[in-house]
Amino acid sequence: MIRDITIGQYYPGKSVLHRLDPRMKLILTFLLIVTIFLCKSFFSLGLIALTAVIAAAISSVPAKMMLKSLKPIVIILVFTAVLNIIYTEGGTVYFEKWGIAITEKGVNTAIFTMIRIVTLVIISSLLTYTTTPTMLTDAIERVLSPLKIFKIKVHTLAMMMTLALRFIPTLIEEIDRIMNAQKARGADLESGGIIQRAKALVPIFIPLMVSSFRRAYELAFAMTCRCYTGGEGRTRMKQMKLAFRDFSALVLCLAITAGVVVLNHFFEAVI
Amino acid sequence: MSFAIETVNLTHYYSKGTVQQVAAIDNVNLQIEKGELVGIIGHTGSGKSTLISHFNGLLKPDSGKVLVDGVDIWKDKETLKQSRFKVGLCFQYPEYQLFEETVYKDIAFGPKNMKLSEAEIKERVLRAAEFTGVKAEHLNKSPFDLSGGEKRRAAIAGVMSMEPEVLIFDEPAAGLDPRGRKDLTELIKNYRKQTGSTVIVVSHSMEDIAGMADRIIVMNNASVAMQGSVDEVFSKGGELREMGLNVPEITEIFAKLRARGIDVPANVYTVEQGEKILRSLIEGRSAK
Repeated sequence: MIRDITIGQYYPGKSVLHRLDPRMKLILTFLLIVTIFLCKSFFSLGLIALTAVIAAAISSVPAKMMLKSLKPIVIILVFTAVLNIIYTEGGTVYFEKWGIAITEKGVNTAIFTMIRIVTLVIISSLLTYTTTPTMLTDAIERVLSPLKIFKIKVHTLAMMMTLALRFIPTLIEEIDRIMNAQKARGADLESGGIIQRAKALVPIFIPLMVSSFRRAYELAFAMTCRCYTGGEGRTRMKQMKLAFRDFSALVLCLAITAGVVVLNHFFEAVI
Repeated sequence: MSFAIETVNLTHYYSKGTVQQVAAIDNVNLQIEKGELVGIIGHTGSGKSTLISHFNGLLKPDSGKVLVDGVDIWKDKETLKQSRFKVGLCFQYPEYQLFEETVYKDIAFGPKNMKLSEAEIKERVLRAAEFTGVKAEHLNKSPFDLSGGEKRRAAIAGVMSMEPEVLIFDEPAAGLDPRGRKDLTELIKNYRKQTGSTVIVVSHSMEDIAGMADRIIVMNNASVAMQGSVDEVFSKGGELREMGLNVPEITEIFAKLRARGIDVPANVYTVEQGEKILRSLIEGRSAK
């Protein structure tokens, strides 16, 4: 059923990761992602992968949900692994036939890249698992607010993001309703070729567009009625405050980045 | 003779297989006879809408059966498709389903899906438009240029043009003014009278239901709590109130009059009925 699609994958909880300041979480996620790409040896990569796994354990997000977020990238993983194995050469040759050589370096690179991608996904999905979409857009607004100097309307952009997220479930409900209404009039959405199916969507999308515009106008009107004039001089109900744990997390992450750089220096590089 | 619609131990769950699994309708056994005008009442979340979505196979029962004209609609794909045409469902705020370039084309959408001939389609569209009061000069207009009430009529015509054996209305008068409400009630009553088809109306408004239904089905907590004639159901005001429902306002007024010792009948359900009784009462007094 269309209703089962989850938007934003927030998993409610009370772990340290949930309680971290969203701004700090956003910055730290960014820092860790950069760190992943700094890794050159298995040891430094191991350190950051271990960090990701421990963080996932602390987050109290069930392992099943974490695995679910890895599911969509399986194809990418296999694809990159195969390409790496085939096109990277060097070291001991394990297998050679039909002009394809599988070498030690190829296998190493493949494993390295796979671990790197998995770690990347774990860290970035931890952010979305432990932060509600609204908190996240709020954090993006704050983090990007220095861009105001360049006359970029950060607040407006963040508000647009919040509203878009807010209306996704509403639109899904609406699609559901319109689909049922058209099915009740005998619309056939399930059979026929691609063109026929695309045509069958017309009776769904036109009413959807119409109601989306109506909603947008109504919302704009309601916001105007409540004197919304954009970001200028706007205060917030939920103030974000950096706590001790945020700074501890920052120090920890910086230490990990430093560790990665040091390990890179002492061990043989894979890539 | 088979029933227009019959349900056998019909059960449907929401969020099946998760911790939040709840029965939206639980073991419902109903028979709706051909040519009947049935009203379904129940508070929000009592399972009314889920129930009627089963009648034309929009929802698949988790257990139990839905029989239309004695045939299980989930028997095969073709039967299911035919059931959509046999049982017309007009949703709440049907004007949000309009999409075609012209009102004519929109009303023709259903008949077209039935693969009828061009001539037959035209006949049906004109008939439905006339019946619902869609003006002839509006047929070539964009449906989005009509007023709210006109859109509603056009959308209802879009379901009626399929000329289903059973026509179901979910909250047909939602969002209409009193005049629109009354017109629509008349329209539904006339439709039944002229076509002789089975009509099911789901509503929150006890007045609307009291004014047209032959029989009332009361839904509460996912199952049928009560069913019977207008008299039988509305005479149980106490039970209805316990379910978060009520009797028509006019019935309450008459109950209060009785409480004050004025001799009026208790089974008054429509304003017209009440008006007659009060007038004769006043005339009787002035005659003295």
